Amino acid sequence: MPLIEARALTKRYGPHVTALDVLTLDVEPGIIGLVGANGAGKSTFLKILLGLLAPTSGSASVMGLDVTREGPQIRQFVGYLPEHDCLPPDVTATDFVTHMGRMSGLPATAARERTAEVLRHVGLYEERYRPIGGYSTGMKQRVKLAQALVHDPKLLLLDEPTNGLDPSGRDEMLDLVKRTGTEFGIATVVASHLLGEIERVCTFLLAIDNGKLLRAAPIASFTERTGTLGVEVEDGADALAASLIARGLLAQVEGRTVLVDAPDERPYDLVRDAIDELGLSLIRLEHRRHRLEDLFRGDGQAVPDAVEVTHDAA
Amino acid sequence: MTPREPAVGTRESATGAIYDLGYRGYDGPRLGRPAAVATLFWASLRAAFGLKRSGRAKIVPWGLAALLVAPAGVSVAVAALAPGAPQPFTYDDYLWGLRILLAIFVAAQAPELVSSDQRYRVLSLYFSHALQRSDYALAKLGALAAAAFGMALAPMLVLFIGRVLLAADVVKAFGDELENLPQVIAAPLIYAIPMATLSLAIAAFTPRRAYATGAIIAVFIVGAAIGGILGDAISSGPLGNLSQLLNPVVPIDGTRNWLVGNSIPDSPVSRTGFPLYVFGLEWLAIVLVGGTAVLWRYRRLAA
Repeated sequence: MPLIEARALTKRYGPHVTALDVLTLDVEPGIIGLVGANGAGKSTFLKILLGLLAPTSGSASVMGLDVTREGPQIRQFVGYLPEHDCLPPDVTATDFVTHMGRMSGLPATAARERTAEVLRHVGLYEERYRPIGGYSTGMKQRVKLAQALVHDPKLLLLDEPTNGLDPSGRDEMLDLVKRTGTEFGIATVVASHLLGEIERVCTFLLAIDNGKLLRAAPIASFTERTGTLGVEVEDGADALAASLIARGLLAQVEGRTVLVDAPDERPYDLVRDAIDELGLSLIRLEHRRHRLEDLFRGDGQAVPDAVEVTHDAA
Repeated sequence: MTPREPAVGTRESATGAIYDLGYRGYDGPRLGRPAAVATLFWASLRAAFGLKRSGRAKIVPWGLAALLVAPAGVSVAVAALAPGAPQPFTYDDYLWGLRILLAIFVAAQAPELVSSDQRYRVLSLYFSHALQRSDYALAKLGALAAAAFGMALAPMLVLFIGRVLLAADVVKAFGDELENLPQVIAAPLIYAIPMATLSLAIAAFTPRRAYATGAIIAVFIVGAAIGGILGDAISSGPLGNLSQLLNPVVPIDGTRNWLVGNSIPDSPVSRTGFPLYVFGLEWLAIVLVGGTAVLWRYRRLAA
């Protein structure tokens, strides 16, 4: 049984806006990155999984429970970090997280014990006894993570967990997310529009655009080597390409860079020799990888085989 | 799902072992939706009295509670110092006289219970927990009604206890006063339920506390003013009598007269001369319409 299952899931707001467009996918446990531009349908998808929004058509289930009919049962085992502010200013972090633990069905004592534990885990110490209104954005974000974790969920849904954080706050939050997912073994879905963040913490990636699934695959397959050398020279790229083709390589020019097909180690020496012979100034020699950015290159249309398209261009 | 073993590691040192407990899962009971609703009810009831909040949040509820109880205390003190003197208040007219304080209480505390959850978007967290939207609405309604009931019950109990303890024969007086117990408990309920419903129905529609409080006060005071002005202007005609029904507290007074205790002479209720069940019907209509409005609002509120 997959962790999350969506079948032809569609959500429309009014007649013109389609947030999710016949989305079908299966998600297995792990740290899953849900990536897409703003407005791609990430938040809508998470809210449907929580039963906060009703799908227009299609169906979805979480841990085998139907999202429209069994919302409370699902939500008992799911932790949710919304993308927006959601904390009352006049309550202390301890009181608030305890309250949310009890809202998930924990008995009073267990809620208090687990609150102390998760607040320590997210790195809130003395401040926990002060009202949340006086917290920095980073501290508030930690409280939001703590309230999502307090009831030991089987599934964490994190909507833009690094929203509004400075670079070091981002790093810390991403570390927390990664630790929570790997050490505690809690299945986690991280929605983000920042591909770099997803790359750092996730093992599996779902890319959606305009409410459609662009691609679903382990993160490694997105970033594997392509077997292409990029050779950037000051000028004379055309001459270099001609010289490499004459040496029996596949090469083509892209601006100042010559892209060389490199199935093995042999082209490195040939490129060195060709540059030396032509007396060119070499700026950069790099092994090209698929980048997540490639997914969203071009006109932004849903291209399920976006990676293949980049490959052809190489 | 995947079972987790608590990762317990120990590190020996000169002073002893440091236990790194790591993250521990939770395998205890999960009480689900009923527990979530109960938690929300009790937390909201505490919030209505400013408990677990800053000192500022306590001023209004406890100040009003003091104002509501003080006349009952004075009444008891008068009876103690001057036995036989006419009592300033009876069970019948106590809440009738002080209902404006109850109206201020619900006007101040209904927004405390629901408006800030909308304003700070805590609502999306509640809705992502183990309850339904209607559960949230009913828990909040119940909590506000219970809080208003407590506010109204306290002075009635002071009157009751005072009358029992000051009697020459306490045991006999307790027996006599027991006859009044239904009124002591029912009258606060009759006031608390519609006032809580009406004020929550207004507060649920705005995330701004000040607007909500203003609107609730307006309904109670403007309603009373319209009833009063029209009643005077048209005076004694059937239209003048009907206009009394615009005042939301008149049907509440009338329902109390209908169900428990005696009518109050020369009150708006008695002046209209309507049969008392008319007020009872309007009381019921206020509760049903207000309750439906609250449920409707939370069903369609975006989370």
